[in-house]
Amino acid sequence: MSEKELLKGNIAIAKAALNCGCTCYFGYPITPQTEIGEYLSIEMQKNKLAYVCAESEIAAINMALGAASTGAKVMTSSSSCAVSLMQETISYACSDELPIVIVNVMRAGPGQGYIFPSQGDYNQATTGGGNGDYHTIVLSPTNVQECIDLTYRAFYLAQKYRNPVILLADGLLGQMAEPAELIDNPYPQIDNSNWRLDGAKSRPSREIHSLEVNQNKLNQHIINMYKKYEAIEKDECDFEEYLCEDAEIIFTAFGSLARHVKSVCNYYRSKGVKAGLFRPKTLYPFPYRKLNDLSKKVKIFIDVEMNMGQMLKDIRLSILSNAKISFIGKPVGNWLKEEEIINAADNIIKEHYASI
Amino acid sequence: MQVYSTPKAIKENSNFTFCPGCDHGLAIKTIAHVIDELNIRENTIAVASSGCSVFLYNFLDVDCIESPHGRACAVATGVKRAHKAQGNNKFVFTYQGDGDFASIGLAESMHSALRGENITAICINNTNYGMTGGQLGPTTAMGQITTTSQNGRNREYHGFPIKTAEQIAQCEGTCFSARVALYDIKNIINTKNTIKKAFEYQNQNLGFSFVEILSSCPTNWKLSPKESHEKIKTELSQIFPLGVLKDVKND
Repeated sequence: MSEKELLKGNIAIAKAALNCGCTCYFGYPITPQTEIGEYLSIEMQKNKLAYVCAESEIAAINMALGAASTGAKVMTSSSSCAVSLMQETISYACSDELPIVIVNVMRAGPGQGYIFPSQGDYNQATTGGGNGDYHTIVLSPTNVQECIDLTYRAFYLAQKYRNPVILLADGLLGQMAEPAELIDNPYPQIDNSNWRLDGAKSRPSREIHSLEVNQNKLNQHIINMYKKYEAIEKDECDFEEYLCEDAEIIFTAFGSLARHVKSVCNYYRSKGVKAGLFRPKTLYPFPYRKLNDLSKKVKIFIDVEMNMGQMLKDIRLSILSNAKISFIGKPVGNWLKEEEIINAADNIIKEHYASI
Repeated sequence: MQVYSTPKAIKENSNFTFCPGCDHGLAIKTIAHVIDELNIRENTIAVASSGCSVFLYNFLDVDCIESPHGRACAVATGVKRAHKAQGNNKFVFTYQGDGDFASIGLAESMHSALRGENITAICINNTNYGMTGGQLGPTTAMGQITTTSQNGRNREYHGFPIKTAEQIAQCEGTCFSARVALYDIKNIINTKNTIKKAFEYQNQNLGFSFVEILSSCPTNWKLSPKESHEKIKTELSQIFPLGVLKDVKND
């Protein structure tokens, strides 16, 4: 499997999941991610794997919770308003320390919104909609190739840290076809024989639960979870820097929208403006430190998002008062075109480059 | 001659922490006896739920996962199917209250039965939300006084209780559905035999098996343990008749 093929984002995610040993999928239809479940229904039933057309997203994520407790590689996929329905169990899975891969192919919100693309679930994914102290790892693909690469990585990180991982794609990426290569899964298998539930044969019985009636134990459990998050923040930050080395203006963007912003950087470079792009690939852990380093030598940051400025607060937390920051965005619909971004950015940049 | 011993499937040195006279302890012990008799302890994964039934894993010596409120049958579906996909046939059962199974989790419960999910669900029906102090639940009887129906359950404000075992018996994927009680020795023995049958049906891959246990809640009913069992015998078993509602082997 070393040739590029024309793949839709949704199908690429499904193929990658199967390729790295996902044996369980539970889902409920919602546009624009339905092809993931449709594709897997054929392939998984053919191979007698676990596939359930769940009665709701609530049921789907809870089936995933049960399946994950057996040590199996488990995935569910959904979109925005229906991912909202899963938040309770995502909180449980974090406390239970169970690995589940949750794909969110974002649509527009709030509420039912519509099937237009949007990046409106940054907050939901990175800060969580469930109760209590927890984090989910959040990966953000920018193209169909990364839908494959980051699906592999999602399964690996979920197993490695025993934590849910959200693959935060968007409707544009899910529905768009482009050449991509279904590479082999580059990650090693993680041994789970010391915690999975497979019957207490020749060992003490095991319990997986979030309820803890002893407050000292509950405190300690959460503190231990946060030691794990510290390790994740230290070791798993991932980002792309494009022309950032000598940049005086840095655009920030995530997901597929970052591709438009890359073209915007090329435009400004052709005009003699030293523009670059910084794209976080992990939205949690967020690359605060790297951005902070950049902010010490960069005059201005321009954050571009298809929402009302959700990543913006993390950018602000990164650069503090080291540099100026501006925001370009709109909440839903067709991605901001390069010209639209340039029109808005020109005004911001003019202060610094009178020649434009 | 030894006439009784604690089941091996009960954890050593565990003392039940339920209220005096509550049937939860008896129900769990009865399940443990069946697990011993069928010799399935080392092949079992239990799914606990929310409410008093969550403490199952403190007493039962099997692998156990707790489920969010109402979702036990969905969690059990995931456990069962994930093992099946790996070529393992594990024994999987849920232990839920009536609020968990038949109110907040009705969709998950009924759809598991409709799919013929090869799991067993045990539902403790004590006609109220016990852990939170005895509020009106899906099985609260007409006229029954609870903290949220202080003049008794009535049609105008609360509507009617669900007859869970009958509803589950209606589902095509259900292989066995029964209602039992624990108010005397005869009924305890019958409960054990009924649970055993439900468990055996799962082992024979016959589909969804279900046992509803009419159980006492003396603290919230404000009755003594003895009066509570008398209430089940004379009142509740009239509203929720005991017996087998569905058995695919006899139908």
